[in-house]
Amino acid sequence: MKNFLRKVFNAEFLPMSEVRKIKITLVMAFLLVITAVTIPFSLFFKYELLTVIIVLIALVIGFILILALFRWHKILAAEQISIIYTIGLTVFYTLGTSSFYAYLFFYIALTIIIFYQELFSYLTYGTLVVGIGVYYIFTYQADLVSMQDISGSVYIYAFILVMFYLIFLVQILYNEKLYIDLNYDWVKMNRLIEKYQDRSLSYLVELDKRQKRTPGYEDVKCQKAFGEIAVFLAEHFHEDGKDILNLRDLYIYIHERGLRRVLDNDEFSVSTKKIANRLDKYLLNSRTDMISMIFNFYTKFRETLPYRDNRYEYNLCKLAPNHEEQIIAMALVYQYLANEICNEDHWDPTDKPLSHQEITELLMAMETEEFLNAEQIAFYKDNSDLFEQHLRKKT
Amino acid sequence: MQNRQTHVFSEIEDYRELLENKHLRSKNRFVMIITIILGIAVLTYMAVAKYPLYTTLSLMTGFLLVILINFACLAYGYENHYFYQLNQYITSFGIFCLAIAMIFIFKSPSMVAALFIAYAIAAFYQDLKVMFISNAFLLFSAIMIMAEFPEYLDFINASQENDFAVPFFFLVFILVLSISSYIMVKQKRFFYNQIALSKETEFRNIDLLIDLETEVTGRTINLSKYYDNILAFTDAFTKKIQMDNIFIKKIHIMQALENNTAYPLLHEKYPDFSKEEYDRLSDLSLGVHRKLLKLAMKISYAKDVKIKKREIFSETQFKSFNHQSDSLEIKILAFAVFYTALRRGNAAMRPLTEAEIYNVLVYTDYYYYIDPRIIRIYQENNQVFDDIVSDILGKRVK
Repeated sequence: MKNFLRKVFNAEFLPMSEVRKIKITLVMAFLLVITAVTIPFSLFFKYELLTVIIVLIALVIGFILILALFRWHKILAAEQISIIYTIGLTVFYTLGTSSFYAYLFFYIALTIIIFYQELFSYLTYGTLVVGIGVYYIFTYQADLVSMQDISGSVYIYAFILVMFYLIFLVQILYNEKLYIDLNYDWVKMNRLIEKYQDRSLSYLVELDKRQKRTPGYEDVKCQKAFGEIAVFLAEHFHEDGKDILNLRDLYIYIHERGLRRVLDNDEFSVSTKKIANRLDKYLLNSRTDMISMIFNFYTKFRETLPYRDNRYEYNLCKLAPNHEEQIIAMALVYQYLANEICNEDHWDPTDKPLSHQEITELLMAMETEEFLNAEQIAFYKDNSDLFEQHLRKKT
Repeated sequence: MQNRQTHVFSEIEDYRELLENKHLRSKNRFVMIITIILGIAVLTYMAVAKYPLYTTLSLMTGFLLVILINFACLAYGYENHYFYQLNQYITSFGIFCLAIAMIFIFKSPSMVAALFIAYAIAAFYQDLKVMFISNAFLLFSAIMIMAEFPEYLDFINASQENDFAVPFFFLVFILVLSISSYIMVKQKRFFYNQIALSKETEFRNIDLLIDLETEVTGRTINLSKYYDNILAFTDAFTKKIQMDNIFIKKIHIMQALENNTAYPLLHEKYPDFSKEEYDRLSDLSLGVHRKLLKLAMKISYAKDVKIKKREIFSETQFKSFNHQSDSLEIKILAFAVFYTALRRGNAAMRPLTEAEIYNVLVYTDYYYYIDPRIIRIYQENNQVFDDIVSDILGKRVK
């Protein structure tokens, strides 16, 4: 419980899959409370006892189903069933009573659907709930008005329910668009960082060679150290230390022979190959998730420039508001691309700086829009000959 | 005792705020449009239902006030983004006041639900403080109506259980709404955090790459030749458009900045330039770790970075040692390798101390990159980890 609450309070650090689990858990807790309260409430409903019993049994089965799906990590299915369960409860209430609290139930159902923040679910289930809600309002309008009610109050009930639905629909649409954009930027940025780390790793290998240092995955002491730590951890889970050492040996073997050979080797069982496949992202001899995590961790301990508002700004327009400075900057960038071996393959001795044609292609590419605007590109196009003539000189 | 949990890079806090403010403007616009639509709907209803003019006007004044404040804050927000933040608080407060006013004016149970609309509008901002304002208002209003004005919920055909059920479901609704809003605010923060974190990670990784490249290749940029070429280029360009070479002064300043000339010395020679201009020109130079060098590197690396649709929101993009698809054994081994690699160091990275690793793993977002069971064992037994590595690798780095 304590851990769960800590997760809730620190949800901003958790990935989507973890947040989904939190959502399902919270919704299940609510549904459990509401279902428990429904038992005494159902005595007041206009149903026969047998119907009430059947519905309550169905609700219990539904709840167990959500719980089972959650346990089996079928989170999306659990989400869908919990929404259907909520709608089922809503229908049970609204057909059983014509009281005001049944009207409140539509808002509860909508809020649970909103909670998942999924457009498709909201459009289907949310619309269904609003449809049933409007039907309920007009069917039981006599029971929803007070002694001295205003004229057209039934329409107000319906209007507010529909408005509530629409406002959240706009919000979900807005969030959907925003999150897709943010996620796209994030994935793109990660890909770019991986490219930098690819290059950094090749330099690191070169430095290791020059300093005659054995890489960690080949160093027996290092293998022993992570093996012993793994055994220590495994024993806390009452697991046999031998199993984890076998896994370590497989991990080292993949480094020596390569994953392909392990996968192609018929002597390995299917389960071993599956494990080898999973270990691939943690290898130390290529740019993997493990290498990225190590690099990122290390950068924390490197000196860095103090924060300024334009720390992450790479758009030339924003870095240089006036045209003269933009032209000088463009000339510098062009020279860098034309004279330095950038984004090189360290192992390829034939690597050379970009040709004028290649630079032109690069600057015209879609990816460059992030750095240069149309006006700057047009300037480059108009004066491309001057760029080539004066800035390609060997430095 | 350090507070859990902070971000591994403190720099991202400012950028995250910047990102939030960037999107706050569009949220403010949406809220204003919804408020206008609601105002028109209420006005239309009051006109059709023939409400007294002074009642209609007083309610409309309230709506107009909220809308005008929105306009003003949006306009001033261009100058100072705090106006956007101020606007979300004022608007949330205003909308709830209007909802309560409507309940008192119409005295109808149907109007009680206007509070939910107010909550929905305020929820648009996805801000924790706004959420607290909304919750406080909603709870206060619900209690006020049920305790002080029960006649507003005096139904003609009220059922027996109504007296208990209405407060209960009100409470459930407020609770569901609050928790839902809270998680959504946190979820939004997660996305902003990730963007900000990746920006800082990129910044630091480019620096690392520049240093490694310099160390391995020994190459340096021949900046004096670059600036000679630029002088020739700008000469040719200005001749082409038949004007004087207006670039010379700035090129000289940039060249001086590349040589790390102090600002006061530059100011003696070029008194018409301000510190901000020197800062800007310094950013535009190509020296090591300067902005333009990073821009040039980014351009060369950004080529061919194509993202497939299925990669968006994919869990595999999230680098951690807590992947659902991995077995516990794999998670254990991955963490053990990670820890040992950090303690061992490599040709370009010094071995980290136990305290350095512990502080990052336990007190920053790294805590959530590791399976909770494993990180708890580490947290409770970090000295054992330290002893194992120190004994085997034969060094005690403190």
